[in-house]
Amino acid sequence: MEVLRLPLSASQKGKLISAGYTSIASISSTSPSHLALELKVSENEALEILKSVSNGSRLQSTSSSLTVVNGAQSAWDMLQEEETTRVHITTSCADLDSILGGGISCKEVTEIGGVPGIGKTQLGIQLAVNVQIPYDYGGVGGKAIYIDTEGSFMAERALQIAEACSHDMAEYSRLYHKGPQACEVKTMQPKDFLENILYFRVCSYTEQIALTNYLDEFIKDHKDVKVVIIDSITFHFRQDFDDMALRTRVLGGIALNLMKLAKKFGVAVVLLNQVTTKYSDGSFHLALALGDSWSHASTNRIILHWNGDERYAYIDKSPSLRSASAPYSVTPKGIRNSSSNNKRIKHI
Amino acid sequence: MGALNYLTVENASIDADFVQFCASHGIFSVEDFLVHDVYVLVASAEKLSNSDRLKQGINQMLSIIETWHQPWVSGQVLLEDREQNKHCLSTGCKSFDMLLQGGLRVGHVTEFVGPSSSGKTQVCFQVASNVAIKLGSVVFIDSGNSFSPTRIKQIVTRISGSVETWVHGILQQAMRNIECHAVFDVYALLNVLQQLKSSLESQAGYKVRLIIVDSVSSLIAPILGGSNAQGHALIASVGYLLKKLADRHNIAVLVTNHMVSGEGGTLKPALGESWKNIPHVRLQFSRDHATNIYGVYILKHPYMASGGSANFTIP
Repeated sequence: MEVLRLPLSASQKGKLISAGYTSIASISSTSPSHLALELKVSENEALEILKSVSNGSRLQSTSSSLTVVNGAQSAWDMLQEEETTRVHITTSCADLDSILGGGISCKEVTEIGGVPGIGKTQLGIQLAVNVQIPYDYGGVGGKAIYIDTEGSFMAERALQIAEACSHDMAEYSRLYHKGPQACEVKTMQPKDFLENILYFRVCSYTEQIALTNYLDEFIKDHKDVKVVIIDSITFHFRQDFDDMALRTRVLGGIALNLMKLAKKFGVAVVLLNQVTTKYSDGSFHLALALGDSWSHASTNRIILHWNGDERYAYIDKSPSLRSASAPYSVTPKGIRNSSSNNKRIKHI
Repeated sequence: MGALNYLTVENASIDADFVQFCASHGIFSVEDFLVHDVYVLVASAEKLSNSDRLKQGINQMLSIIETWHQPWVSGQVLLEDREQNKHCLSTGCKSFDMLLQGGLRVGHVTEFVGPSSSGKTQVCFQVASNVAIKLGSVVFIDSGNSFSPTRIKQIVTRISGSVETWVHGILQQAMRNIECHAVFDVYALLNVLQQLKSSLESQAGYKVRLIIVDSVSSLIAPILGGSNAQGHALIASVGYLLKKLADRHNIAVLVTNHMVSGEGGTLKPALGESWKNIPHVRLQFSRDHATNIYGVYILKHPYMASGGSANFTIP
């Protein structure tokens, strides 16, 4: 009985049902005068009933052009929107930024996976700092949410990276903002960077699920959050899960929630993942954890790996970027371009 | 569902007494009458004084209903419908079109299955651009934020040639023809499809030619399985709506699905046995990472043998 769901008075609902209108489709196809005659109410009241029916079933229309389904946007409008708003968070490594088309894009879920020690947490902390770069310096000027499941976030390291970032911004300002403008553009202190990283520590998978559900409310209250980093999404789902089918369902639900967040608030969601070995075609090779069904949960996927002695990032899946690979390195200042003295030390 | 009151105007045996009799059984509309057990109704009519009139009324109702249901159609009519209305939509890629003997058929639900990053979304973009430029509008329902306007712009520019000013006009027109809607759960998907159905039924001005749902598996997987059977019922509803839209309104429907591991470590399409019978055509995608060549393989087709395959690249 769909009419019971409508925001009408009880007597109106009773009249609708006794006249035989039980579904919304049947009401929406009649004209107001007809409805007025049927229900023996005034025409104004019939008009109001029809309006509440159409409001209930209509989604909010955001675009100016006529669309077949309300709430859809035409590709042209989306393109105009994309070209005018800055939507990338730089990773501070020029090579990596160039293959990513400017950096990690907001409104999308990016999954970054790699072997232990490749620099996933470092990249996560770097992004949490870089998202705060003000608009004048080419950043997005937002806050970061860092969800730590493994306990690998180190505040001292974040401070170190923030100091390097602040130093770089001061250099940039000195070189490019000469004259009266230099006084207006404010520089950020490393302490400010740390203040804008909102940190959550999660200790079990139920907490993780609860937190993803809660993020919607949280981001509504903190509108300037521009990136959500989950480090790592796999940790609590790898051990102690008896029912694999349940795990797949739960992960699917989390993936949809995160997608919705990314789209609704325009935040970048970065998921850090671990690796596992898979046996196929007679050989073992490394693949990202959480299975095949999880591989569809992200919009973009970047795999970090060793190539000889250098760290490389490879775009494995993206709807708009070409597959490419770029080297990067982890320095005391954070993630930077690769150079000869940042390679892995050979163990003797 | 029409109220019984309507019928009193035209039919003598359905008079106020009859309507009152029905009301006493909780029957207010034609739908209620259909759901109610006719024999029980006849039996209770027997007990009343004007039983003959009431039984006449019941018979009249049944004969009216007979004329309202979907008519039987002959094969000839179906063949004519197929020649006039149900054309093939070209995918823009020659080897793919040759494999499908013309392209995606209007009136069919085609499914693209494949492991992650095997080209499904890219081919969806390609088909959408091709249809948007030449044929009509496209509704793209996206569940993974993978709709990328810049990529569509690249593909449209490539398909329509390289004459600058001409291309810009076409670009705007084509991109206006593609509508993207983001849904994140299966109820939102059903809502969108219902809205589409009602707007296509009421206004004949919209020429929707193609509906793409990318991907239906990420919407349904979270609710499928477990102790309740609600997931299977929702799969059936989605399938029913898609097929109805495809057939009634001459639209080609394209859905994407992913793969899960089956026995022996091989991959099989997700969503299991209940989804398996819903699409008319199932195509499996694969990608050779080294050479960047995509392969497509027919798993199921109503009139072509399965096993045919083709290779193509996406520039």
